Amino acid sequence: MRCNFCGKTFDEESSRKACQRCAVFGGCKMLKCPHCGYEVPAEPGLIKWLKRKLKENND
Amino acid sequence: MSVGTLLRKIIGGECCENQNHTGTGLPKVLIVGSPNVGKSVLFNRLTGRYVTVSNYPGTTVEVSRGRSKVLEGRFEVVDTPGMYSLSAITDEERVACRLLLNEPAQAVLHVIDAKNIERMLGVTLQLIEAGLPVILVLNMADEVRRLGIRIDTRRLGELLHIPVVETVATTGEGIGELAVEIGEVQPAAGQKVDYSGELEQAITEVAEQLDEAGGISRRTRALLLLQEDSSDIEKLIGTQDAIRTEAVRAVVSAGRGRLEHSPHYYATLATKREADRILSRALSLPAPGMPNFREKLSRLCMHPLTGIPLLLLVLYFGLYKFVGEFGAGTVVGFLEDTVFGKGINPWVNRAAEAVIPWQTLRELFAGQYGIITLGVRYAVAIILPIVGTFFVAFSILEDSGYLPRLAMLIDRVFKKIGLNGRAVIPIVLGFGCDTMATMVTRTLETRRERVIASFLLALAIPCSAQLGVILGLLAGHPYALLVWAGAVATIFLLAGLLAARLLPGRGPSFYMELPPLRLPKLTNVAVKTYTRIVWYFREVLPLFILASVFIWVGRVTGIFDLLVRGLEPVVNLIGLPDGAAVAFLFGFFRRDYGAAGLYDLQKAGALSGVQLAVAAITLTLFLPCIAQFLMMKKERGWKLTLLTSTGILVLAFVVGFVANAILNGLGAQL
Repeated sequence: MRCNFCGKTFDEESSRKACQRCAVFGGCKMLKCPHCGYEVPAEPGLIKWLKRKLKENND
Repeated sequence: MSVGTLLRKIIGGECCENQNHTGTGLPKVLIVGSPNVGKSVLFNRLTGRYVTVSNYPGTTVEVSRGRSKVLEGRFEVVDTPGMYSLSAITDEERVACRLLLNEPAQAVLHVIDAKNIERMLGVTLQLIEAGLPVILVLNMADEVRRLGIRIDTRRLGELLHIPVVETVATTGEGIGELAVEIGEVQPAAGQKVDYSGELEQAITEVAEQLDEAGGISRRTRALLLLQEDSSDIEKLIGTQDAIRTEAVRAVVSAGRGRLEHSPHYYATLATKREADRILSRALSLPAPGMPNFREKLSRLCMHPLTGIPLLLLVLYFGLYKFVGEFGAGTVVGFLEDTVFGKGINPWVNRAAEAVIPWQTLRELFAGQYGIITLGVRYAVAIILPIVGTFFVAFSILEDSGYLPRLAMLIDRVFKKIGLNGRAVIPIVLGFGCDTMATMVTRTLETRRERVIASFLLALAIPCSAQLGVILGLLAGHPYALLVWAGAVATIFLLAGLLAARLLPGRGPSFYMELPPLRLPKLTNVAVKTYTRIVWYFREVLPLFILASVFIWVGRVTGIFDLLVRGLEPVVNLIGLPDGAAVAFLFGFFRRDYGAAGLYDLQKAGALSGVQLAVAAITLTLFLPCIAQFLMMKKERGWKLTLLTSTGILVLAFVVGFVANAILNGLGAQL
């Protein structure tokens, strides 16, 4: 995914590693950009499902 | 990770898993570059149908390998994960760097999006300095021509001393020429970036301690060691001898210790400077007759003289008019008065009376402080419209690329007044959520910066929810809003200046590459807003319900009334009525919960303009919410957290008292 702040891309795995020592214990459902530290909420299931369907239709 | 830790890892033999994974024995062509520049399309152009995709050992990062279909199949082509720099941060970058370090290549194709050559040439310079056989691939050349950008590839090649090829990977343009260059390329002559000063000296000293190893120059390995790069330390140092590694460690530590700022900061600036110097001779942008609006707007956003008025415009239309007047006024009014006031709450109260015979239990769900009539009402009727509209405005700003420019603007203003510059990122993020911003302070380099930023976040940065509710609260009183904004900004600056003077240390520097400014996409804004609202409600609704339960328990046991009575004299002291004590008590649970309490009071006509301004100022400066408090404890420890919180609590009421005295003394009517 693309960071909304610095514009660089990262995957959820890298994001999880950037959150490892957080006091919220990862329960915040946020994804942290490993490049700049900016956080965005993880996409809800509905959005992921819609994107998958759109991609399938386009393919 | 410190150099010591890294060296221990080496001695313990933890690193270096691989050499050649495929065993084809063919010379390799490595494709490297940032994400989304067309590496995979180029890989498909260069390879045949038989491609293997496997995880790099010890990671989940995929690496694609295939035999070249050009050049008579004489090469193994490797598509590496995206990387923004040789100094790795993510797993993908680490794998890309390990591939470069561990798998000597016949050619390294640095693929860039030619439109963004200014941002991407820095990595080319790093690869050249590493002494790798680099070919610069200017992909998406068709888009460059369409935009009227001219890149003199021959001149660029002469300046860099490497082959430069224009390609359009999607159509196959330039692939033939690239194939020829792959067969002929030689290791780069080592065009050096002049880092100047202490960093240059440190690099020289560390490089002298290193042996020649692998295909990477000693100079590059020295710089990566100074930057605490962790991609493959054994390769970087070039020896496993404990005494030699100790000596290297000492020289690296000494070199780093002499630097005023981080090596990464100097290296980024020097590389950018060199890239600009080279491009000034080989790149021509569209003629001046074709004004680049986005570029101009981008510069205007960051210059203090124009950036601050632009910021005020954004705040006025984006926050005051849209969030304050529309979200907090029109939508909240409808949900509060019509949906909950006339519909849900009366029905819940009647139903509770009919179904629950016990008064005490009834009050848990209905009545003045019930879970549904207070907790759910606050969350749905007050918070949802306000944060919903705020998240729309915030998503538009996010998608437009304005936020990093705001960071640069604030950074410039901060530096001018002696505040620490890089703290600007957590501070800007604090307007979204102070808790996450407190966590981001970890990325600041010195303890001094971390302490100052945590303090400022807890004191004077309202989170998005609180900001939204306060804007809604003050929407009908523009002068009260001005007084609130002025007071909070003044306290922020004074506290920041004081903290910077009291806590000794060096002023840090901040630099970031700016993504392009763009027109926000409706779908992006909708997805981001929906995502944030879902996240917010998952976070906030259980807390609001929990708060209602706590209040209920407090009322049953009498503790709630005791606390309210204890707070009443304090709120009276700052000129607020007794009812405001409840709002401040709510504020301990969440800042926005407290602000919603004030909203209730204002609707009941219990607060004048002056009282609204004083209440909003005090509540903004008030204690951090429970989540932020816990985060501060985690990041800074109990001692500092309790000290900071006590100081903030006292300061909030002192400022409220002073504001009330001044406004009443002047006879202000807000």
